[in-house]
Amino acid sequence: MHELGIAQSIVDFAVSEARARNSSRVAEVQVEVGELAMIDRGILSNALRTLRSGPMLASCRFRVRTRKVSFKCRKCSATWPMAEAMKQLENVAPELLVREPDSSELPLHFLPSLYPAFVRCPKCGSADLDVSAGEDVKIMRVVFE
Amino acid sequence: MTGDKGGGLARLGAQKKLAKIGKVILVGSGKGGVGKSLVACGLGLLLAERGHRTGILDADLHGASVPDYVGARPPLASGAGGLLPKESGGLKVMSVSLLTGDNPVPVRGAKKEGMITELFALTDWGSLDFLVVDLPPSTGDELLTAFSLFARKSTLVLVTTPSPGSLAVVSRLRRLAASEGVPVAGVVLNMAFTGGGEARNYPFGRAGRKWLEERLDARLLAEVPLDPAVSSAGLKRALEAGGEFSDSFGRLASRLAKA
Repeated sequence: MHELGIAQSIVDFAVSEARARNSSRVAEVQVEVGELAMIDRGILSNALRTLRSGPMLASCRFRVRTRKVSFKCRKCSATWPMAEAMKQLENVAPELLVREPDSSELPLHFLPSLYPAFVRCPKCGSADLDVSAGEDVKIMRVVFE
Repeated sequence: MTGDKGGGLARLGAQKKLAKIGKVILVGSGKGGVGKSLVACGLGLLLAERGHRTGILDADLHGASVPDYVGARPPLASGAGGLLPKESGGLKVMSVSLLTGDNPVPVRGAKKEGMITELFALTDWGSLDFLVVDLPPSTGDELLTAFSLFARKSTLVLVTTPSPGSLAVVSRLRRLAASEGVPVAGVVLNMAFTGGGEARNYPFGRAGRKWLEERLDARLLAEVPLDPAVSSAGLKRALEAGGEFSDSFGRLASRLAKA
């Protein structure tokens, strides 16, 4: 369900930018979905197509790609991928999962930047972490006609 | 052209949510331990009790305490309009601790602006008459984010104790608010006294109204006593119990609802 909200934000952003530039049509929107946001790319793409109404967006192409995340410990410099973090995220307390009508989602699905509250360095245990990229959803490019 | 969810997308989402909010009351001090959260929560609960559509956003990412004061607990649920705030006495409550529980949130400065913006933008507040924002200590990232995010609709309530140390820090926030163009609704003198009538004591010293208002260039909105019942029975019960504590919050809510 969160994907619908993100799709609406992307559409609103594209329309807002087009208006700011006195452009009548948006030709293409390139979106990068960070792996850490745990967004279902299929649902997001479908939602974007559904919201593609009105003359400004009628012929707009939405290109959605996933960006891998890489964690780095600021204390010992260890790095690790999302798969390692997911092992730790399996232990998130059930009461912290956000209830959706047909499922429960990790808090990071809504606020990816909360990762230091749930992920620790697998080597030294520190919570002083960083991610190189792939943290959330970004609009990389909007092409106007 | 690029935009990102932590910046452009979240900002746009926040603007949409803000359009449905009448007034934003920022509760801050700059100083820790003066009772900002107590004042913010008490104010929010009373405004809601009086029939105003009211929400409270806990902007203290590292020391979130709003859910404890108002009795809100995880889990959160999500709907078509975003994260559904918890409700307590008619007050809509959102805090990062409703997502993180007892886990520490060790995030660095640069990320805080995005986190507060997203937390506000992700929440399905609906239409509100008042959004109370509980600010953390300091005049850093969270405060500047709130000033910027809610600029058009915000007013600042300063919270201090009578102690000189507290007043010195609060006066810095007052000057910052002036330089950033944030209107100041007034000041709440918290922990002003204990006891009542002839038995009043002033454990943190006395700060006269005229002197305080001149020092902070702001009108005194309320003097809140130090009431042990808040610790023993909880904020909601202390507000319901009558007496000087709840009367002081009543005056505060009335003045801010009219302002």
